[in-house]
Amino acid sequence: MAGTDMRAPSAYPSECARATAPGESRFRIDVPIRPARNARVIGLDERATAIAQRVAHRSWAKATFYTCQAASDAGTGDARIVLHRLDGRPVLLGEVLTGTDVVVVLATEDAGRQWAAAIGRLCGADGITTAGIVLGEDFEADDAVAALRPYARVLLLSADESDVTELLTALRV
Amino acid sequence: MLRKDINELLTQTGPGTPMGELFRQYWIPAMLAEELPENDSPPVRVKLLSERMLAFRDSEGRYGLIDEFCAHRGASLWFGRNEQAGLRCPYHGWKYDYTGQCIEVPSEADNSSFCQNVKLTAYPLVKIGDLLWTYMGDPAKQPPLPEFEFVHVPAEQTYTSKRWQQCNWMQAFEGGIDSSHVTFLHSGGLKTDPLFKGAKGNEYNMKDTKPFFEVADSEGGLFVGARRNAEEGTYYWRITPWVMPAFTMVPPRGDHPVHGHFWVPIDDENCWTYSFDYHPVRALTETERQAMIDGHGVHSKNIPGTYRPAANMDNDYLIDREAQKRGETYSGVAGIAMQDASLQESMGPIVDRSKERLVPADSGIIKARQKLRKAAVALRDEGVTPPGVDPEHHRVRSAAVVLPQAESFLDSCRDAVRATPGVPQSSV
Repeated sequence: MAGTDMRAPSAYPSECARATAPGESRFRIDVPIRPARNARVIGLDERATAIAQRVAHRSWAKATFYTCQAASDAGTGDARIVLHRLDGRPVLLGEVLTGTDVVVVLATEDAGRQWAAAIGRLCGADGITTAGIVLGEDFEADDAVAALRPYARVLLLSADESDVTELLTALRV
Repeated sequence: MLRKDINELLTQTGPGTPMGELFRQYWIPAMLAEELPENDSPPVRVKLLSERMLAFRDSEGRYGLIDEFCAHRGASLWFGRNEQAGLRCPYHGWKYDYTGQCIEVPSEADNSSFCQNVKLTAYPLVKIGDLLWTYMGDPAKQPPLPEFEFVHVPAEQTYTSKRWQQCNWMQAFEGGIDSSHVTFLHSGGLKTDPLFKGAKGNEYNMKDTKPFFEVADSEGGLFVGARRNAEEGTYYWRITPWVMPAFTMVPPRGDHPVHGHFWVPIDDENCWTYSFDYHPVRALTETERQAMIDGHGVHSKNIPGTYRPAANMDNDYLIDREAQKRGETYSGVAGIAMQDASLQESMGPIVDRSKERLVPADSGIIKARQKLRKAAVALRDEGVTPPGVDPEHHRVRSAAVVLPQAESFLDSCRDAVRATPGVPQSSV
């Protein structure tokens, strides 16, 4: 039967047209997606910590929040740097990063430069994705940007505090 | 991840919706000027922001964009006769001018004033560059005309095409600010496309497949900087501007023309993608222009007589698995435009963003969504004019530069990202 098209007849012209027809969306698997990111949010300076405290009051699945204010360096490697939880309890940076897959660093000035570098180094060594949100106007936090640039996979330069919540929400933390 | 109610807010652009009202604050492309090539040429159906209209060019060269349907009994004026400074419905002879004003109702007495009280909804239609632009908002708030560089350089320096994309405008637009997909999806084109290949910047693109990103506010929208390693102590930056609501540019490569897009909603499940190429300081060569006509670069090869791509969902985008295996194309789909469109359309007419798993590299998209939502809500609740309406915001360019590692792309590229007549693009 040379020349005869043996394909089964179809009401649709192609796979793609059929698959993207509006009705097909009813058959997408609808299992809820669990939070994917086990995030740490770290305020580098005083204003950034205040922002972290406001954001922390929201409901998050896996995000935990820390501050670099009053951080100290034990001088025995980045993992031994002492950060604090927002309630003031000290915690080692190495412990903070254990089990996490994304770290979001908040900055409004360059006061936390040295801690940003340490966090960046340790995240880089451990394969943890880092993102930085630098909040300021026009652009007062240039030094903080410069400090974070080598380490943050993404830097969001913004005057809008709600970007912190937006990013964390989008990342499902 | 985006809540369903926010996704609906961003994707619905019909009359009375927050995003629809936002779009109605701007001049937007309605069609290519070539669609109405001469006076009294056939009228063209135009659907924008879920409104069906008809465009025509009258005997005196005036452009009209009016309600598609005759006020008498609702027949489509697409069947109308474009004659003697007006469009006449062939059903009973009612005639309308380019403002939508009814100027003749043959069944009425000769001295009747009836037709003076019949006026179809109409929007201004203005030719700037290769495009006809419209403003569908409150006439009292009509902003100054757009000043995007691609429509203001001399005609021999610019080329614009359009294609129908079968998905919501946001899916298409988000591709325009998503710099990270280039290394994968378009990797074949970087080596072979006549409008992309040969640039030094491509080498950086291909060597460093994990760019770092910086996202910064601009007056009209955003700048998204993608940073890759270059020579020792330097970074290669590709800077993508977004002007709200729907104008994006692709960072240039070598001395190739600069390209970009305008993403315009037809309705909630379709959009027009306008793709442009221009060179700020020289005419396009014949070879370049022919490559654009042939569907290379950001353009598409369309079915003759239409603006539907020849490779489309009805033929599985002519996917070539052998070319994919050979590495000529990354996805098997040929052409940068259709590589993007095929994947964006595959998401379905309106993707459910509540199921996404975004990563930090998507920060540009996250920020753009936030800006659109906030602008739409501020307009709805407080009447705030959104960014991007002011023509000053249109004078931006994309750029590709190599900078010392310590330098900020924002500080170092202030001139590079500003459209300055007579000054070439910053490109590597």
